[in-house]
Amino acid sequence: MKALFDFMDKNIAPLFEKGGKFERLYPLFEAGDTFNRTPGDVTPSAPHVRDSIDQKRLMIFVIYALVPCILFGIWNAGNQFNIANNVEDATLMTDLLRGSAMVLPIIFVSYLVGGLWEVLFALVRRHEINEGFLVTGMLFPLTLAPTIPLWQVAIGISFGIVIGKEIFGGVGYNILNPALTARAFLFFAYPAQISGDTVWVGSAKTTLDNNLFFGTVAENIDGVTRATPLAVAAAAEKGTDAIAALGNAGYDWVNMTLGNIPGSIGSTSVIAIVLGLGFLIATGIASWRVIFSGIIGCAVMGALFTALGLDNAFSQIPFYYHLIMGGFLFGIVFMATDPVSCSATNTGKIIYGFMIGALTVLIRVANPAYPEGAMLAILFMNVMAPLIDHFVVQAHIKKRTSYARALNNA
Amino acid sequence: MANFKINKGFNVKVLGKPKAEVEEYAHQQLFAVYPSEFEGLKPRLKVKAGDSVKRGDVLFENKKNEKMLFRSPCCGTVKAVNLGARRFPAEILIERAAQEESVTFETYTSDAVRQLPREQIADHLLNTGLWPLIKQRPFNKIADPAKAPKAVFINAAHSAPFQADFSVVLKGDESAFQTGINALAQLTEGKVHLCKSAGSDIPDFEQAESHTFAGKHPSGNTSVHINRISPILPNDTVYTIAAQDVILIGKLLTTGELPRTRIIALGGPAVKDEHRKYYKVPLGASLKDLFEQSLEGDEVRVVQGNILWGDKVNADTCVRYYGSEYFALEEDRSRHLLGWTMPGLFQYSSHRVNLSSLMGFAHEWKLGTSMHGSHRALVVTGWMDRHQPLNIMTDFLVRAALAHDTDEMVQLGILETDPEDFALASFIDPHKTDVCSIIKRGLEEIEEEGI
Repeated sequence: MKALFDFMDKNIAPLFEKGGKFERLYPLFEAGDTFNRTPGDVTPSAPHVRDSIDQKRLMIFVIYALVPCILFGIWNAGNQFNIANNVEDATLMTDLLRGSAMVLPIIFVSYLVGGLWEVLFALVRRHEINEGFLVTGMLFPLTLAPTIPLWQVAIGISFGIVIGKEIFGGVGYNILNPALTARAFLFFAYPAQISGDTVWVGSAKTTLDNNLFFGTVAENIDGVTRATPLAVAAAAEKGTDAIAALGNAGYDWVNMTLGNIPGSIGSTSVIAIVLGLGFLIATGIASWRVIFSGIIGCAVMGALFTALGLDNAFSQIPFYYHLIMGGFLFGIVFMATDPVSCSATNTGKIIYGFMIGALTVLIRVANPAYPEGAMLAILFMNVMAPLIDHFVVQAHIKKRTSYARALNNA
Repeated sequence: MANFKINKGFNVKVLGKPKAEVEEYAHQQLFAVYPSEFEGLKPRLKVKAGDSVKRGDVLFENKKNEKMLFRSPCCGTVKAVNLGARRFPAEILIERAAQEESVTFETYTSDAVRQLPREQIADHLLNTGLWPLIKQRPFNKIADPAKAPKAVFINAAHSAPFQADFSVVLKGDESAFQTGINALAQLTEGKVHLCKSAGSDIPDFEQAESHTFAGKHPSGNTSVHINRISPILPNDTVYTIAAQDVILIGKLLTTGELPRTRIIALGGPAVKDEHRKYYKVPLGASLKDLFEQSLEGDEVRVVQGNILWGDKVNADTCVRYYGSEYFALEEDRSRHLLGWTMPGLFQYSSHRVNLSSLMGFAHEWKLGTSMHGSHRALVVTGWMDRHQPLNIMTDFLVRAALAHDTDEMVQLGILETDPEDFALASFIDPHKTDVCSIIKRGLEEIEEEGI
């Protein structure tokens, strides 16, 4: 191993450094080289020591936090398929295999196409290949329906990376969360494949045929219709009981928490998300201020609607249903906490999180055209985050001058 | 008298704390003065190679203020004047002569100093070459003798590894210190503040108000002291000085000749255990022999200052005009396999992403100079404030500095700070942003534009 690395340092590295043959490809070389081993640079000036944390480690650890969601998402996609298509000999293994066959190509396409854009921009604009892309490329597939056509995945991630991030200058300069930008683009450009009642569960015709690994499909059902809990609640008639409607559709708080229901790949299971949340908080990566104020915002708004007693059926479901339904929890834990697009001040983070929670419920209840409010709420607050920060910073400036004056007069 | 508790901060746990004993460091032949140490100074040389100088003869003067002189720390011949970039004199080397001749100045008793008018003390210090020991905030430059400051802050605290413990330095020089304080008290219309670390064994002195600061680094930084005691408002200036330099001023006033020695603390993981202690060294004398016998390791970086803040110096440097400590650590160019995912048990970190932050803080680390990662674009996350006790929004200040927005920098309080206050922000930043240099450039821009 050491001999190989020595060979790399002596013979390969100079080709990519300044004056080398492949100087233009340096970002690509750097990415690979520092993936293998941390760079050997020393501090140029004070401080003479540095913390051993780096961007790579931070971003990879977000992926680790997503692992429960990924694994559960794969199983759930397969499981939902097998239930809906009456697969006779379905086992845990066939669920996982079927799910893998549905989900892994989506993740693969997302990384491949997104990675190409990232590398292309890094080479042309001569900035480093940023590890933030690894998170974007994983978050985006997890927000999609498992039946999404792969070409749409490619177009979506292209939009997210190029328009959502790179035209601003890359990671650190973007305004919106790139993964959510990608999803929002698909949502508005191809609504048929990402919303509605038929996209959440694959049907035998639209995905894969029977074979040894996937089990036997008894009957070929053409298009499986399963509405998500949000769609069911939004469609509940005025004056009726939304909880009962959910119950009729097969949803209660238990399976919405466990997550063995139709929905976006990564966001159905509250348990998987909470595992990721625990990991993010324990490692100190995500801002607990955003997450907890978001949850409080969602609960308060939900309770407020219930208390108002409108005849809108959706508004009458208890607040804790809002927390476990749809993509809110996934969004507030993994999307809203994106350090680039989120508020940077501590006070700002609390306002930002709270508003996301509140707006999510508002959009869900008040606007039946968009059953899922979390995506729009987060994007909206991404845009508002600099404004929130502006006011917090202005207040800070005012406070610090008056503090100094008071102390001097004392 | 006030006691302050600084709640935010972080102590870098590094190996090599100097023991509290002082060793005399024997006589040296080579001496040096480094005009480059005085940032922003335009020197006019008064000597050339081959000249013989007495102890206390003028070596160079400040072109902008010809009263400000810089004098020779020893008697001998000027061996060389080495020029640096743009023909700026980087160092003046002096070979010591066997016979010593000294220039003498007027002497004052400690009590007489209290009666002296401000101008006389200022002129005396300018003339003897000790005035530049006094710095001025904002901008942390050599104090302007023309303008009386709001207050004088003497920094006798230590919080970063390994700033010299002033209680060790002070032993035996209490009266010189008192004389120095008396002189400083005449320079200001306000108070002289003596800022100590909590628990350090330093008595109170007349003419100075004592304050103690408890807490982790940067509780020993002058900016923190000023911020807590009497923050800088627009148009304010304050003088700052390191406590040991006050002793030098006191000795000058009472003996009538230039002070001879300074006590330095030598520490760090690359210093052999038995050599980690305090040394009484002649001012301006070469430290080559000391470093040769005390350093160990293949490639060692010597820092004049502490682990977080200070300049890289050569291992054959002479005792500098400023500073009471030298720190040595190894250049760490090691590369770690798959560093992005290893548990991080053996990598020092203040972040919980590395397991070492939870388990490893009990012991002291043999730290090196590795960057531990590559540079990435700055993300404004608020993390940089984590260990910032000043009422400063570091991330936003850095952003304003990067954008050359001088108005916003001033509003956000950059004038209260010095680049050293951002050493911890640089240390913890996962994007490896060079915060200190960014702030330094911002301060220079503001100074150029005028506030």
